[in-house]
Amino acid sequence: MTTIYNYIKSVPVVTGLFLCLASLPANGGILVQCPGDADGSADWAGGETQPANTKCLHLSSGDGFVTMADGKLQYIFGFSNLTGIPANVETGTADILAAGSLAANFPAPPIVLDEGDDVYLTLTNIGMLNRPDLFDPHSVHFHGFPQSSAIFDGLPDSGVSINMGSSLTYYYKPNDPGTYMYHCHVEAAEHMQMGMLGSLYVRAGQNGETHTYKGKNFTMFAYNDGDGSTGYDKEYPIQIGSFDSAFHDASIDVQPLPFATMFDNYPMLNGRGYPDTVNPDPLTPPVENGEKPSQNESTLITASPGESVLLRISNLNVTRLYTLGTLGISMRVVGKDAKLLRGPDGKDLSYKTSSITLGGGESTDAILDIPAGTTPGTTYFLYTKNLNYLSNDAEQFGGMMTEIRIN
Amino acid sequence: MKRELKTTMHCLFCTALFLFFLTGNSQAGIDGITGTTFALTVKTGRVNTPDGASLLLWGYANGNDPAQYPGPTLIVNQGETITITLSNELTVTGTGPAPNVSMVFPGHQATSSLSNPGVPGILANEARPGDSVTYTFTATHPGTYLYYSGTDPALQVEMGLLGAIIVRPSDGSSYAYNHPDTQFDREYLFLLSEMDPRIHEVVELDGAEGLAATDYLSNPFPVVWFINGRNAPDTLDQPGTGSLPNQPYNSAPLVHPGERLLMRVIGGGKDLHPFHHHGNHARIIARDGRLLESIPGAGPDLSHEVYTIQSVPGETVDAIFQWTGKGLNWDIYGTPEAGPQFVHDCTDGDADDYDDTTYEYCPDHGKKFPVILPDNLDLAFGGFYSGSPYFGNLGSLPPGEGGLNPFGGYAFMWHSHTEKELTNFDIFPGGLMTMLVIVPQGAPIP
Repeated sequence: MTTIYNYIKSVPVVTGLFLCLASLPANGGILVQCPGDADGSADWAGGETQPANTKCLHLSSGDGFVTMADGKLQYIFGFSNLTGIPANVETGTADILAAGSLAANFPAPPIVLDEGDDVYLTLTNIGMLNRPDLFDPHSVHFHGFPQSSAIFDGLPDSGVSINMGSSLTYYYKPNDPGTYMYHCHVEAAEHMQMGMLGSLYVRAGQNGETHTYKGKNFTMFAYNDGDGSTGYDKEYPIQIGSFDSAFHDASIDVQPLPFATMFDNYPMLNGRGYPDTVNPDPLTPPVENGEKPSQNESTLITASPGESVLLRISNLNVTRLYTLGTLGISMRVVGKDAKLLRGPDGKDLSYKTSSITLGGGESTDAILDIPAGTTPGTTYFLYTKNLNYLSNDAEQFGGMMTEIRIN
Repeated sequence: MKRELKTTMHCLFCTALFLFFLTGNSQAGIDGITGTTFALTVKTGRVNTPDGASLLLWGYANGNDPAQYPGPTLIVNQGETITITLSNELTVTGTGPAPNVSMVFPGHQATSSLSNPGVPGILANEARPGDSVTYTFTATHPGTYLYYSGTDPALQVEMGLLGAIIVRPSDGSSYAYNHPDTQFDREYLFLLSEMDPRIHEVVELDGAEGLAATDYLSNPFPVVWFINGRNAPDTLDQPGTGSLPNQPYNSAPLVHPGERLLMRVIGGGKDLHPFHHHGNHARIIARDGRLLESIPGAGPDLSHEVYTIQSVPGETVDAIFQWTGKGLNWDIYGTPEAGPQFVHDCTDGDADDYDDTTYEYCPDHGKKFPVILPDNLDLAFGGFYSGSPYFGNLGSLPPGEGGLNPFGGYAFMWHSHTEKELTNFDIFPGGLMTMLVIVPQGAPIP
């Protein structure tokens, strides 16, 4: 590791923040657009009125650090959630810049939407504190969004992306429930390998109705199935990802980026390798982040006997396909790429399996029907069947695995 | 970010698209050769990649034409008996003789002709150097197929010996299969493949026997990725361009709103590629030339929609893509608040929710653009950005920005979502990527 890394380790992070703030324009272009929200907090606290069916989010893009399961520190680019911090204020945007600096999360904060919402997602590009030589714009690509427009697709080639110190508000009307994902699409091979990825799913409009399927009543559903066949009691977003530590090290060391030799050696679920995946809490933040939590997503799955558990599985790694499988219980696959698995005339195309293979940019909705007679204390496993990826670099036994604990 | 690279690629895109739109002399749909009798020749050529490399090619050629990557797309009709005479004119470096070559036709029952059987190989009869072999098959099933060399395929397919076959159904050339639900307005081929330059270098310098000292064939590490034999941004250049003499096919899909676009996606290489199409879902109606139907005649009743097609080696996928902008909840054709030029009607005489001419989704008509866009100084612009969020509109952009989207369409990237494959031997962007441009009704599509 070289100078910048050591610098960050040895100098109080406050100094870094100060440098960051000083380097940005005084007012910048930070503007959070959210109907009914006057102070730019992207929420309606303090007496503001939330319009019906409206959802707002404020994400920042920047850099930070995460810790791999073997202790390896990794430099990342990423998103973090600034929702709740006033941004449109006369006194300036210091709070936003302070909150968004060195705040990158991996994976990005999960985005949960409801079908039919008016969604206003503001992205503020804070910039990469550890790479002052970079001036990269960023974007949010709502991956799989049906009937996209070019302006809100987040594809830099066909639309716009946002420069450092400024904000861009995306508007989406999610009409179709299902499991999507989001990522930055600017220089995608680099920014995605560096960590700008997260889960995104749209809950079905049918939620709240009661449907009985195989003798069980459900009020939550993966899709508008009309018959309760996608009903679930609990849901877990599970994002497959993996890092090539050589690429991340080259980035923090300001070296040429090894695209051709990219080969991921840290396979993960929701940004962690086993056994960190089953830690229910945010991981201890690296001191290099100024102790801001950066790995907040546990993949520990818990359920009671008789419950149906919806796994919203997506893959956003950039180097290969992965097979994810179960041990001890099979998966009932009811959705693929945010579509109910049915033919055009309604034929049931769902199936049971113990393994699913997903490339980058694919998603699957799988339901675990925990048998009613399961003994509490039973543990099932969900792990990659590409067995060499049950590792955290050289460390066996870890990587892309988590547990399904029956309580 | 490397600014100079971006500018260079921008210029490449610009030149390619500018020519593509303005000269308009490219062939529509899928380029290829038609008939029932084909004379193909195997010979050497060069594959040019945008990083500046030139790789040795072993390619199929149409008769005396240059070798090409991929080989000629054979477009035939269901029920016809197809005869292909393959001549081996391959020349090689090194001490060994030129290898035999052959063709296999997964999805069809091919035989070698009794009058010109070639010599027996493991997967197919083969043509010896300087000799030929003739294959015959009946195109019993419509659909999308792959052909490739059945001789030492780990080497010969890597070297370039592969191509596509399209069998038109009896129902006619606007159908993918014999069912009304498979009708399409436009079709495009996406033959996905990859190369490991080390293999090509060894074969060029030392001959194929030089590979014996390596593990390259058993443990390949591709670093260039192709659609229809080209890497982005060359995918968007004209078909038959002189700068790519052995890579005549492009991949530059264009479509109008509401039209049904048939994607014929082929896994031509040895790796899987998740082919993500921005813009909308696509409905997979067939795999490997067989309609996804529960009983014959049912139509694609077992079809399903995806936003990423998992393309598997040797497999073909037919999918229907359609885009209208339905349900965006703002009028993509603009509202009067945005300026007088946006005043328009949505006329739905046939009560299908769409304008009868433009295919505007009428329930969204008149709804204004939902947010305020940042100032230009706060934004980075893409070359395909029209300068306006509105469909079919050209807005103002700073000097040097935009320019690739003369009709103000919506451009969507269609690409491998193994994003590593968006590079040309270490250089981003490139690789297995192209742009679909949805252009307004009336905008010409070659």
